[in-house]
Amino acid sequence: MNVKIKENMESEKLISLFNKDLCLFHLRSRKKFSILREMAHHLAKMGRVSDEDLIMEMLKNRESLGSTGLGKGVAFPHGKSLAIKKLTILFGKSVSGIDFESLDGKPTHIFFLILAPSNREAETYLELLSDLLTLVKNPEKLKKLHEVKDFSSLKVLFGGMET
Amino acid sequence: MKKNSRFLIALQDLDIMISEIKDKSTAKELKEMGFELSGLKELENARLELAEQISPAILNRYEKLAVHYKIAILPITGDKCLGCFVRLPTSFFSSTPTVELITCENCGRMLYIP
Ligand SMILES: [Zn+2]
Repeated sequence: MNVKIKENMESEKLISLFNKDLCLFHLRSRKKFSILREMAHHLAKMGRVSDEDLIMEMLKNRESLGSTGLGKGVAFPHGKSLAIKKLTILFGKSVSGIDFESLDGKPTHIFFLILAPSNREAETYLELLSDLLTLVKNPEKLKKLHEVKDFSSLKVLFGGMET
Repeated sequence: MKKNSRFLIALQDLDIMISEIKDKSTAKELKEMGFELSGLKELENARLELAEQISPAILNRYEKLAVHYKIAILPITGDKCLGCFVRLPTSFFSSTPTVELITCENCGRMLYIP
Protein backbone atom coordinates (compact mmCIF):
# COMPACT_ATOMS: atom_id res chain seq x y z
CA MET A 1 0.00 0.00 0.00
CA ASN A 2 1.06 3.55 -0.70
CA VAL A 3 2.83 4.83 2.46
CA LYS A 4 0.91 8.10 2.46
CA ILE A 5 -2.46 6.32 2.25
CA LYS A 6 -1.44 3.94 5.03
CA GLU A 7 -0.37 6.87 7.22
CA ASN A 8 -3.68 8.61 6.59
CA MET A 9 -5.62 5.48 7.51
CA GLU A 10 -3.70 5.20 10.76
CA SER A 11 -4.35 8.84 11.66
CA GLU A 12 -8.04 8.39 10.90
CA LYS A 13 -8.13 5.38 13.20
CA LEU A 14 -6.35 7.35 15.89
CA ILE A 15 -8.58 10.41 15.71
CA SER A 16 -11.68 8.21 15.85
CA LEU A 17 -10.67 7.29 19.40
CA PHE A 18 -10.79 10.92 20.48
CA ASN A 19 -14.04 12.35 21.63
CA LYS A 20 -14.76 16.08 21.68
CA ASP A 21 -16.27 15.75 25.15
CA LEU A 22 -13.08 14.15 26.41
CA CYS A 23 -10.75 16.95 25.36
CA LEU A 24 -9.90 19.55 27.99
CA PHE A 25 -8.01 22.53 26.64
CA HIS A 26 -7.76 24.46 29.89
CA LEU A 27 -6.70 22.18 32.72
CA ARG A 28 -6.49 24.27 35.87
CA SER A 29 -4.60 22.12 38.37
CA ARG A 30 -1.01 23.00 39.18
CA LYS A 31 0.20 19.77 40.80
CA LYS A 32 0.86 16.29 39.46
CA PHE A 33 -1.83 14.35 41.32
CA SER A 34 -4.39 17.14 41.21
CA ILE A 35 -4.15 17.32 37.42
CA LEU A 36 -4.66 13.53 37.24
CA ARG A 37 -7.64 13.96 39.57
CA GLU A 38 -9.06 16.74 37.38
CA MET A 39 -8.93 14.43 34.35
CA ALA A 40 -10.26 11.36 36.23
CA HIS A 41 -13.09 13.47 37.63
CA HIS A 42 -14.05 14.58 34.14
CA LEU A 43 -14.16 10.97 32.94
CA ALA A 44 -16.40 10.07 35.89
CA LYS A 45 -18.66 13.01 35.14
CA MET A 46 -18.91 11.86 31.53
CA GLY A 47 -19.82 8.34 32.66
CA ARG A 48 -16.64 6.79 31.28
CA VAL A 49 -15.38 5.44 34.60
CA SER A 50 -17.44 3.77 37.28
CA ASP A 51 -15.23 4.82 40.17
CA GLU A 52 -12.98 7.86 40.08
CA ASP A 53 -11.05 6.90 43.21
CA LEU A 54 -10.12 3.51 41.79
CA ILE A 55 -8.79 5.20 38.66
CA MET A 56 -6.77 7.61 40.80
CA GLU A 57 -5.34 4.75 42.86
CA MET A 58 -4.24 3.00 39.66
CA LEU A 59 -2.78 6.16 38.08
CA LYS A 60 -0.84 7.02 41.25
CA ASN A 61 0.57 3.51 41.35
CA ARG A 62 1.56 3.80 37.70
CA GLU A 63 3.40 7.05 38.40
CA SER A 64 5.28 5.45 41.28
CA LEU A 65 6.64 2.92 38.80
CA GLY A 66 8.17 5.81 36.85
CA SER A 67 6.82 9.12 35.60
CA THR A 68 4.76 8.92 32.42
CA GLY A 69 5.98 12.42 31.59
CA LEU A 70 8.29 11.51 28.74
CA GLY A 71 9.61 15.01 28.18
CA LYS A 72 9.15 17.63 25.47
CA GLY A 73 6.15 18.83 27.44
CA VAL A 74 4.06 15.69 26.88
CA ALA A 75 2.85 13.03 29.34
CA PHE A 76 1.07 9.74 28.78
CA PRO A 77 -0.57 8.61 32.03
CA HIS A 78 -2.04 5.16 31.37
CA GLY A 79 -3.18 1.88 32.81
CA LYS A 80 -5.82 -0.77 33.13
CA SER A 81 -8.65 -0.89 35.61
CA LEU A 82 -11.88 -2.72 36.23
CA ALA A 83 -13.40 0.73 36.75
CA ILE A 84 -13.08 1.59 33.05
CA LYS A 85 -15.67 0.29 30.64
CA LYS A 86 -13.96 0.63 27.28
CA LEU A 87 -10.66 1.85 25.85
CA THR A 88 -10.72 5.59 26.52
CA ILE A 89 -8.44 8.47 25.73
CA LEU A 90 -8.68 11.89 27.28
CA PHE A 91 -6.71 14.79 25.83
CA GLY A 92 -5.72 17.49 28.26
CA LYS A 93 -3.79 20.72 27.94
CA SER A 94 -2.37 22.92 30.65
CA VAL A 95 -1.51 26.27 29.12
CA SER A 96 0.84 27.27 31.94
CA GLY A 97 2.37 23.79 32.24
CA ILE A 98 3.01 21.84 35.45
CA ASP A 99 5.81 19.88 37.09
CA PHE A 100 4.90 16.29 36.21
CA GLU A 101 8.34 14.96 37.21
CA SER A 102 9.03 14.50 33.53
CA LEU A 103 12.19 12.79 32.34
CA ASP A 104 13.72 16.00 30.96
CA GLY A 105 12.71 18.02 34.04
CA LYS A 106 10.73 20.49 31.94
CA PRO A 107 7.08 21.51 32.54
CA THR A 108 4.35 19.33 31.02
CA HIS A 109 1.61 20.94 28.97
CA ILE A 110 0.02 18.10 27.01
CA PHE A 111 -1.61 15.02 28.53
CA PHE A 112 -2.85 11.90 26.79
CA LEU A 113 -4.62 9.93 29.50
CA ILE A 114 -5.17 6.40 28.24
CA LEU A 115 -7.29 3.90 30.13
CA ALA A 116 -8.10 0.33 29.17
CA PRO A 117 -10.50 -2.15 30.77
CA SER A 118 -8.67 -4.88 32.66
CA ASN A 119 -11.11 -7.59 31.68
CA ARG A 120 -10.86 -7.20 27.91
CA GLU A 121 -7.60 -8.52 26.51
CA ALA A 122 -8.25 -7.14 23.03
CA GLU A 123 -8.53 -3.54 24.19
CA THR A 124 -4.88 -2.92 24.87
CA TYR A 125 -3.41 0.52 25.19
CA LEU A 126 0.07 -0.37 23.94
CA GLU A 127 -0.67 0.12 20.26
CA LEU A 128 -2.36 3.43 20.97
CA LEU A 129 0.59 4.62 23.05
CA SER A 130 2.99 3.65 20.31
CA ASP A 131 0.96 5.53 17.65
CA LEU A 132 0.83 8.67 19.79
CA LEU A 133 4.55 8.51 20.47
CA THR A 134 5.26 8.29 16.75
CA LEU A 135 3.34 11.53 16.35
CA VAL A 136 5.19 13.28 19.17
CA LYS A 137 8.57 12.22 17.76
CA ASN A 138 7.84 14.23 14.62
CA PRO A 139 9.16 17.75 15.48
CA GLU A 140 6.70 19.51 13.21
CA LYS A 141 3.70 17.63 14.66
CA LEU A 142 5.01 18.16 18.20
CA LYS A 143 5.14 21.90 17.60
CA LYS A 144 1.57 21.84 16.28
CA LEU A 145 0.46 19.69 19.20
CA HIS A 146 1.60 22.40 21.61
CA GLU A 147 -0.39 24.92 19.61
CA VAL A 148 -3.75 23.07 19.52
CA LYS A 149 -6.51 25.10 21.07
CA ASP A 150 -9.67 23.24 20.18
CA PHE A 151 -10.96 19.91 18.93
CA SER A 152 -10.85 20.84 15.26
CA SER A 153 -7.15 21.80 15.41
CA LEU A 154 -6.49 18.48 17.18
CA LYS A 155 -8.30 16.67 14.36
CA VAL A 156 -6.27 18.51 11.74
CA LEU A 157 -3.10 17.50 13.53
CA PHE A 158 -4.06 13.84 13.32
CA GLY A 159 -4.66 14.24 9.63
CA GLY A 160 -8.42 13.99 9.94
CA MET A 161 -10.80 16.30 8.17
CA GLU A 162 -11.53 19.62 9.76
CA THR A 163 -15.16 19.86 10.80
CA MET B 1 -19.94 -1.01 46.29
CA LYS B 2 -18.72 -2.15 49.66
CA LYS B 3 -15.33 -1.71 51.26
CA ASN B 4 -13.77 -5.13 50.66
CA SER B 5 -14.86 -5.14 47.00
CA ARG B 6 -13.24 -1.74 46.36
CA PHE B 7 -9.97 -2.77 47.95
CA LEU B 8 -10.03 -6.05 46.04
CA ILE B 9 -10.56 -4.27 42.73
CA ALA B 10 -7.68 -1.89 43.51
CA LEU B 11 -5.55 -4.91 44.40
CA GLN B 12 -6.46 -6.67 41.18
CA ASP B 13 -5.68 -3.51 39.12
CA LEU B 14 -2.31 -3.39 40.84
CA ASP B 15 -1.65 -7.10 40.26
CA ILE B 16 -2.37 -6.61 36.56
CA MET B 17 0.07 -3.68 36.45
CA ILE B 18 2.76 -5.72 38.22
CA SER B 19 2.25 -8.73 35.95
CA GLU B 20 2.51 -6.49 32.86
CA ILE B 21 5.83 -5.08 34.05
CA LYS B 22 7.08 -8.55 34.86
CA ASP B 23 6.09 -9.69 31.38
CA LYS B 24 9.30 -9.30 29.40
CA SER B 25 7.74 -8.39 26.04
CA THR B 26 5.40 -5.74 27.49
CA ALA B 27 8.21 -4.25 29.59
CA LYS B 28 10.50 -4.21 26.54
CA GLU B 29 7.83 -2.47 24.46
CA LEU B 30 7.24 0.19 27.14
CA LYS B 31 10.96 0.78 27.63
CA GLU B 32 11.47 1.16 23.89
CA MET B 33 8.78 3.85 23.93
CA GLY B 34 10.83 5.68 26.55
CA PHE B 35 9.04 4.80 29.79
CA GLU B 36 11.06 4.29 32.95
CA LEU B 37 9.93 1.26 34.91
CA SER B 38 12.24 1.47 37.89
CA GLY B 39 9.66 1.53 40.68
CA LEU B 40 8.59 -2.12 40.83
CA LYS B 41 9.59 -2.21 44.51
CA GLU B 42 7.21 0.73 45.20
CA LEU B 43 4.39 -1.18 43.52
CA GLU B 44 5.10 -4.26 45.60
CA ASN B 45 5.06 -2.16 48.78
CA ALA B 46 1.78 -0.55 47.71
CA ARG B 47 0.39 -4.06 47.23
CA LEU B 48 1.36 -5.08 50.76
CA GLU B 49 -0.31 -1.98 52.20
CA LEU B 50 -3.45 -2.54 50.17
CA ALA B 51 -3.67 -6.23 51.09
CA GLU B 52 -3.64 -5.28 54.78
CA GLN B 53 -6.89 -3.37 54.30
CA ILE B 54 -8.78 -6.48 53.18
CA SER B 55 -10.28 -9.00 55.57
CA PRO B 56 -7.99 -12.07 55.66
CA ALA B 57 -10.68 -14.58 54.62
CA ILE B 58 -11.61 -12.55 51.51
CA LEU B 59 -7.97 -11.84 50.65
CA ASN B 60 -7.21 -15.54 50.95
CA ARG B 61 -10.02 -16.39 48.54
CA TYR B 62 -8.78 -13.79 46.08
CA GLU B 63 -5.18 -15.00 46.26
CA LYS B 64 -6.27 -18.59 45.53
CA LEU B 65 -8.40 -17.51 42.56
CA ALA B 66 -5.68 -15.20 41.24
CA VAL B 67 -3.40 -18.22 40.78
CA HIS B 68 -5.78 -19.50 38.10
CA TYR B 69 -7.44 -16.37 36.79
CA LYS B 70 -6.05 -12.98 35.80
CA ILE B 71 -9.45 -11.54 36.65
CA ALA B 72 -10.70 -13.01 39.92
CA ILE B 73 -13.25 -10.35 40.86
CA LEU B 74 -15.86 -8.91 38.52
CA PRO B 75 -18.98 -6.76 38.64
CA ILE B 76 -22.38 -8.30 37.91
CA THR B 77 -23.71 -6.43 34.90
CA GLY B 78 -26.14 -8.82 33.27
CA ASP B 79 -27.39 -12.31 33.85
CA LYS B 80 -24.04 -13.97 33.11
CA CYS B 81 -20.77 -14.25 35.01
CA LEU B 82 -18.36 -12.06 33.00
CA GLY B 83 -15.55 -14.46 33.83
CA CYS B 84 -16.93 -17.74 32.47
CA PHE B 85 -20.06 -16.45 30.67
CA VAL B 86 -22.30 -19.04 32.31
CA ARG B 87 -25.76 -17.81 33.21
CA LEU B 88 -26.18 -17.03 36.90
CA PRO B 89 -29.07 -18.75 38.68
CA THR B 90 -32.20 -16.57 38.92
CA SER B 91 -32.01 -16.85 42.71
CA PHE B 92 -29.09 -14.41 42.45
CA PHE B 93 -31.46 -11.69 41.42
CA SER B 94 -34.66 -12.64 43.23
CA SER B 95 -33.55 -11.30 46.58
CA THR B 96 -31.14 -8.62 47.73
CA PRO B 97 -27.95 -10.43 48.55
CA THR B 98 -26.88 -10.11 52.14
CA VAL B 99 -23.27 -10.98 51.41
CA GLU B 100 -20.83 -8.51 49.89
CA LEU B 101 -19.34 -10.93 47.41
CA ILE B 102 -21.17 -13.66 45.56
CA THR B 103 -19.36 -16.71 44.22
CA CYS B 104 -19.99 -17.87 40.66
CA GLU B 105 -21.05 -21.49 41.06
CA ASN B 106 -19.41 -22.41 37.78
CA CYS B 107 -15.94 -20.83 37.91
CA GLY B 108 -15.67 -19.69 41.51
CA ARG B 109 -14.88 -16.05 40.68
CA MET B 110 -15.97 -13.38 43.12
CA LEU B 111 -18.81 -11.20 41.88
CA TYR B 112 -20.03 -7.92 43.30
CA ILE B 113 -22.95 -5.64 42.61
CA PRO B 114 -21.51 -2.40 41.27
ZN1 LIG C 1 -18.10 -17.70 36.42
